[in-house]
Amino acid sequence: MRAFTEEQLTAYDGLDRSPAYVAYRGDVYDVSESFLWQKGRHLATHFAGRDLTQALEDAPHGAELLARFPIVGKLSYD
Amino acid sequence: MAKVAREMVERAGVDVDQLLELLISNAAAELTTFYYYTILRVNLIGLQGEGIKEIAETARIEDRNHFEALVPRIYELGGKLPEDMKVFHDMSACPPASLPADPTDVKAMLKVLVEAERCAVRGYTHICNLTAGKDHRTYDLALAILHEEVEHESWFSEFLGEGPSGHFLRRGETSPFAGKFMR
Repeated sequence: MRAFTEEQLTAYDGLDRSPAYVAYRGDVYDVSESFLWQKGRHLATHFAGRDLTQALEDAPHGAELLARFPIVGKLSYD
Repeated sequence: MAKVAREMVERAGVDVDQLLELLISNAAAELTTFYYYTILRVNLIGLQGEGIKEIAETARIEDRNHFEALVPRIYELGGKLPEDMKVFHDMSACPPASLPADPTDVKAMLKVLVEAERCAVRGYTHICNLTAGKDHRTYDLALAILHEEVEHESWFSEFLGEGPSGHFLRRGETSPFAGKFMR
């Protein structure tokens, strides 16, 4: 499984044909195919290429929705 | 635009541009759901489908009402709908409630319906959370719509066998909560 640093993750922001990746609790998910992550943006509030662990804690939905998407790597917090 | 009305919301600490984006994307979800539910409803045929057709139609009309109720508030706060309807469609806060591969599979139809409502419940819960105590008018509007979306979800959930919804379907007029915003 590929390892990402937070800086490396920012390159996957869903813009300019890059895939859209988001991290949650150390797992990196590919949300590129999601209707709700077009151009790397989610509901005016969140951006791809970032660790959304804290944001998901405050969201009106749980992490179970992320289970629909493939895990493409692990986020390194070093 | 209602200049002072917007100013009050800004001064309460709400990011009005972000709120507008959420309102517009949820308005898009309502109008596109109205369209997709039309297709779902006409395909709810046969002995099993007929039993769900009425509630699908009620949810469809109420989602259209939600779109109507949201539009004035968007413009009051200084926002606007996209001029291109295709852009509006793709801004939707919820994925298209598309006809399942087998439209004779009523359970599959119900899953599409319940997922659409669940997305709406999350969306309006979020708007309520953002506006509670700060933007009283948008909060009142979002809460009214939320009441109806929760009921929609519970109807379809009950038909899926997930347990009793606790209440009856509509008897008479649609949009008992959001109706006041459509006068």
